Amino acid sequence: MSNTSGQATAFMALTPIQPGEEAALRSFLEALPQDGSPLARLAGTHFARWVILRDWVNDPSQPREERLESPYLIFTSNFDGPLDPYLDELCVKLTPEAREIWGRCVGCPPDATGPQLKAYLLHNKIDTGFFVAAYPNSTVAQVKAALAAREQLIAFAMRAQDMGPDELFRAFAEEF
Amino acid sequence: MAVDRSDIQGNVLRAYGSSYPCTAYVFAHVSDAGGGRAWLGSIAEAVSSDEEWRGSKPSSHRNIAVTCAGLRALGVPESVIGTFSDEFRQGMAARSEMLGDLGVSDPRHWDGGLGTGAAHVLVILNGRARDEIEAELASLRASIERAPGVSILHEQYAELLLVAGAAANVPAREQFGFADGAAQPAIAGVSDDAAAGGGVPLAGGAWRPLALGEFVLGYPDEDTLVDPQKRLPSAPADPLGRSGTYVVYRKLRQDVAPFRRVLRDAAARFVGGDEELLAAKVVGRWRNGTPLVTSPGRPDPGFSATAPGSNSFRYLDVDVDGRRCPLGAHIRRSNPRDGLGWPALDDAGLLSFRHRIIRRGVPYGPPLPADVLDDDGVDRGLVFVCFNASISRQFESVQLQWLNDGNGFHLGHDSDFLLGSPLGTGKMTVQGDPPFMLSPQGPFVTTRGGEYLFMPGIAALRALARGIGG
Amino acid sequence: MSEPAAPPGPDTATGTDPANVDGQAIAITVFSTVKPLGRLWLPLVFWFATTFPRASGTLGRLSFIHFARWSLVTRIPFNGPPQREEKLNYPHLFFESNFNGGWEEYIDAFSHILTRGMKFFWGTSYGFPQPLPTGPFKTYIKRNEIVASHFYGAYPQATTTMILSSLELAPKLGAFKARAKGMSPDAFAAAWSEFLADVQECL
Repeated sequence: MSNTSGQATAFMALTPIQPGEEAALRSFLEALPQDGSPLARLAGTHFARWVILRDWVNDPSQPREERLESPYLIFTSNFDGPLDPYLDELCVKLTPEAREIWGRCVGCPPDATGPQLKAYLLHNKIDTGFFVAAYPNSTVAQVKAALAAREQLIAFAMRAQDMGPDELFRAFAEEF
Repeated sequence: MAVDRSDIQGNVLRAYGSSYPCTAYVFAHVSDAGGGRAWLGSIAEAVSSDEEWRGSKPSSHRNIAVTCAGLRALGVPESVIGTFSDEFRQGMAARSEMLGDLGVSDPRHWDGGLGTGAAHVLVILNGRARDEIEAELASLRASIERAPGVSILHEQYAELLLVAGAAANVPAREQFGFADGAAQPAIAGVSDDAAAGGGVPLAGGAWRPLALGEFVLGYPDEDTLVDPQKRLPSAPADPLGRSGTYVVYRKLRQDVAPFRRVLRDAAARFVGGDEELLAAKVVGRWRNGTPLVTSPGRPDPGFSATAPGSNSFRYLDVDVDGRRCPLGAHIRRSNPRDGLGWPALDDAGLLSFRHRIIRRGVPYGPPLPADVLDDDGVDRGLVFVCFNASISRQFESVQLQWLNDGNGFHLGHDSDFLLGSPLGTGKMTVQGDPPFMLSPQGPFVTTRGGEYLFMPGIAALRALARGIGG
Repeated sequence: MSEPAAPPGPDTATGTDPANVDGQAIAITVFSTVKPLGRLWLPLVFWFATTFPRASGTLGRLSFIHFARWSLVTRIPFNGPPQREEKLNYPHLFFESNFNGGWEEYIDAFSHILTRGMKFFWGTSYGFPQPLPTGPFKTYIKRNEIVASHFYGAYPQATTTMILSSLELAPKLGAFKARAKGMSPDAFAAAWSEFLADVQECL
């Protein structure tokens, strides 16, 4: 079982969708904007997703068919730092949407917030077997800062090609 | 599996080459299926195949390709059309966002009705001289005139820019002044002798040719080779699929004067002000075709593209950091060879070998005279034509992943400097001590029109003319 | 005549449904039904891969994966009615990844470069064809893939190699800034050239 790689953590919750709520849940999720996603409020989130699992895919070679009793909502997140504080933050910051999302799942606490929501998500946690991260020791903030610094350096380096030593020296001091 | 050369249209496996420097592309529109098929039947008689010529060389060649809209216009049932690839059926114009055909290259601005669905049948004439090809054209135009339900949508003339007085082995130049067209995929059973450089790079410096099915349908492709069941790749339903190939046609206008100015201005700041070296760094070859990897300091004056081994080089053994041929150079992007791998990876060609294309482009428009740095308003560029078994896996992957972006080469969003796509960031780093960065002033290449087509085998073409059942 | 290659994907540049795309980042989510043997085999594979990171070195070297994970679902938690308890006849293998480039290229790389790894992970799934040839493997993945309803990335325009380059560059830039303090303009000009040459592969 490996839910972490470096400081990066993987989380997955699999929650049963209330009878008759699948379509509404799907519509709600699909209408969420990517630019302005509620998940952005959790600053330590690298990548996360909600996926609806309608049923198992059966292969003809299986001796028996396997069917799910109901559709399920998968939530996965790849984020910084330990699980506990992340869930604490999630259960506060995602409250309005949580009602529309986990609120449509069986067993979700009525308010879909706080410690009760956290307990619900932990109850429905699926452990990760093997987790790989390309930059396991870097937080979202570090990644964003590094990306910005690289952009800044490239832009400066291109301007610098036209500068003599004195101008370069001054410009660098100004820029950095 | 023996190659049936008589069933594959000519110029696909073996180029007509510099003996046929003049090319005319005629796009026809079919408004009546019966009339269209009758006309197709009449012109399909004289289509050139890949068979060796018996007797003297023909004075011209004729080949035919069809768009998806063309198949429909010729009465091919939807059930059969459904067996063609998705991207072919959507057409190039519908995929403009992916290909980077945005802004000035947007299909809305395209020439001659290309990309509107009106282009149905493409007839390609290859001739030895302008006057000879004009005669062929006149005859073709007359046949269209006579045929009910067929009209001409668009014509494009193109001609190899042969270096005057040069020997036969000196490759023609394209409009930016670079030798072009010599490096092509090596195909098993067809061009095994070109495997060194043109094939798949293997461990230990060896090479092997590519499976024919990567370019011609109905034959085993690279997947077939590793399939215990030896399944052939997906292809349109017979009789149309066998011996056919997918064609990408793109009219690319080249803004030569701005390109020259940018090079001149940038070279002033480049080490030693060497404009020729900087130009070579952008492309990956010196203007005469000498690869930078094998000859990083100066071009080889005696370089012959047809000499054995002239194309035989790879990147990881001597140039992993791009100091010879920059990581983002045009040829390194369009055919990475072993360049996407890493030294410890045994089979470095694995990430690139399924994305090769056969290129048969021909420049159009008069070349801009040497040393002219001002725009003369003349339309010139390249009629880019390539053949592949899968447009999405081959042509489109190269365009999207390798030319219009830099991630695969660890170059962020940097796109190919020569093409200057609006999708990427456009800067180019010339690796060195210190590195030099180029920032372009805007795209040097604009897409003026394009189509995805299918070039059927000879028998398939005749079947198409007779009428395909559902 | 021949079994068709992967079924036509939806109409985006990336070869996958638009809902799976955020900027440059692509989401893939796959569930496959696993043979009973997988209950023993997969935890072993997970343990091995986690304990010996070098074994998955190649996976790490592929320049387009941000994150990837495999999980084995052997039971589904019960929350009381109206949920009905799930009696799983088989375990189910969950795979999710966030990557760049094209869906086809991604699967191709898994097929060709991670051939052995793919057998280890998916070898016990029902219907799993071999990783090669790529055609049937892609068909299998497509059949078992689920499109995301909402996919979020914190830095959607950044590709994996950009991030790796940026992270490598950041401390070097910091060190250079520190060195630069107190240099004369001429000394700085030389140091700057040297610095650029040193970090050029990150730019």
